[in-house]
Amino acid sequence: MAFGLRWSGTRVFLATEIRVQLHEWLAIVMGTLTPGALLIFVAVLAPGLLPVTLIGALVYSMFLIGQRVLNEAAYIRIDHKLNELYHASPLSPEGYFVGIAGGMLIAYLPPSLLILAILEVLHPLSLLAIVTLAACLLAVWAVSSTIGYVVSTMFKDMKTIWPYSALLTNLLGVLPPVFYPFSKVPVEWRSLVLVLPTSAAAVLVNAAAGLEEVTAAQGGLAAVALAVEAAALFAFGIYWARRTARER
Amino acid sequence: MIVATDAELRSQPQRGRVLPAWAFIGWRWLWRSPAAAVVPLLQPFFFLYFLSRIITDPRLFPLQVAGAMLFSTQNIGSWCLADSAVFRIELRLQDIFVASPHDKLHYLFGVAFSNLIPALPAILLLGVILGMLTPVPLVGWLVLAACILMIWILYAAIGIAVSSRLRSQREIWPVGTLIFTLLGILSPLYYPISFLPPVWREFARILPATYAALLVQGALGFESASTENLGLDAGLLVLSTVIGLIVAWSLYRWRES
Repeated sequence: MAFGLRWSGTRVFLATEIRVQLHEWLAIVMGTLTPGALLIFVAVLAPGLLPVTLIGALVYSMFLIGQRVLNEAAYIRIDHKLNELYHASPLSPEGYFVGIAGGMLIAYLPPSLLILAILEVLHPLSLLAIVTLAACLLAVWAVSSTIGYVVSTMFKDMKTIWPYSALLTNLLGVLPPVFYPFSKVPVEWRSLVLVLPTSAAAVLVNAAAGLEEVTAAQGGLAAVALAVEAAALFAFGIYWARRTARER
Repeated sequence: MIVATDAELRSQPQRGRVLPAWAFIGWRWLWRSPAAAVVPLLQPFFFLYFLSRIITDPRLFPLQVAGAMLFSTQNIGSWCLADSAVFRIELRLQDIFVASPHDKLHYLFGVAFSNLIPALPAILLLGVILGMLTPVPLVGWLVLAACILMIWILYAAIGIAVSSRLRSQREIWPVGTLIFTLLGILSPLYYPISFLPPVWREFARILPATYAALLVQGALGFESASTENLGLDAGLLVLSTVIGLIVAWSLYRWRES
């Protein structure tokens, strides 16, 4: 009963968020621009790496959803002050968090499907690779949505949030081997990048798609790290949503 | 009794402390938000690292460092867009500036100047790295500085002009990304223009940053260019900057009504 009550309003809020986000078509299109720009750089400068970069673009697009959750949650709370209204309603805090994160995921899915279609043309994926891709993208979404939501609750104005948002996307999206192969990472840094959620996802999908070879130990480390981070962070996101539901 | 509207506007102080005040706004922003200082400093290096993973030719690195200086300057436009939109939409500060003796040109320049402050450490550090990587003649430094100045003024003006048309803070991110990511990728800042496919090359020639890149690459000796070609690039940079400024000025809305 208590568990049921905690999820009250989730479906309605999820539907609201999807609708709100689908009205922001420019933001959805622009979400593809940064990975698109990196894809173009690779297409021009190193066309042989294009399939790896397309998988990287899918992972990065999923990670960008966290940035959009950050902006949306902050916008609702700081600019519109709607947060108070939502939390005074029967909508549960965890329904609020999952609603924003899920709404973003669904609204921002079409550009990712387009990238997937291009990838299928350039490098058709096996069933195993498709399943790995779906699982890894969901894990990255869980991690990035939680980071985005938690960070959004820590600031009092929108302007302060942007540099942190840019820092996170660069640190976890551009720097590690998401858009370029794992083999280009110096050996001493490889263990570290395998535990980062974005590069772990990219490495696993590249390996499943036959684009790169990794050892069983490396694949295992990446898979365990990504699964633990996704589960632990998403659970923390729900805890944080309950804790920060009302401003003090 | 004298009311505020009776005061002769021109009798009020018109200039003197405006620029330092805007510089102080820029400095306070850095001081209050450490990430605001760190991100502009790191961003070009993140991208340079990414490029070094996909291009293995180390000879391109000095060219990419010079390109990163121009790219960092171009990014100021995006921050100006966000800043002036927040000032107007969230803080309602622009109304106060409109009512003050601060005219719209001063406001535009002030926002641009306050946003130059967070970018300066990155630009200076990249300059030091460039000097360590390759000998740069005095003329090269002067050309680089002039190009940075032009790109700063033009892209800041574009950012502020576009921001004056935004209605909600929700629009800042997509519109800023659309304009500055597109402008950033179309110009050959990080590689020679000869790397680009022919159609893209023609598109790139519409943008002022392309001429800034060609001028810097030629003046620093990264690409072979005759004096006539450099002169032509300089002329086209000035011309495209002037056209860009005229467009930005016509788009820029100072008062709400």
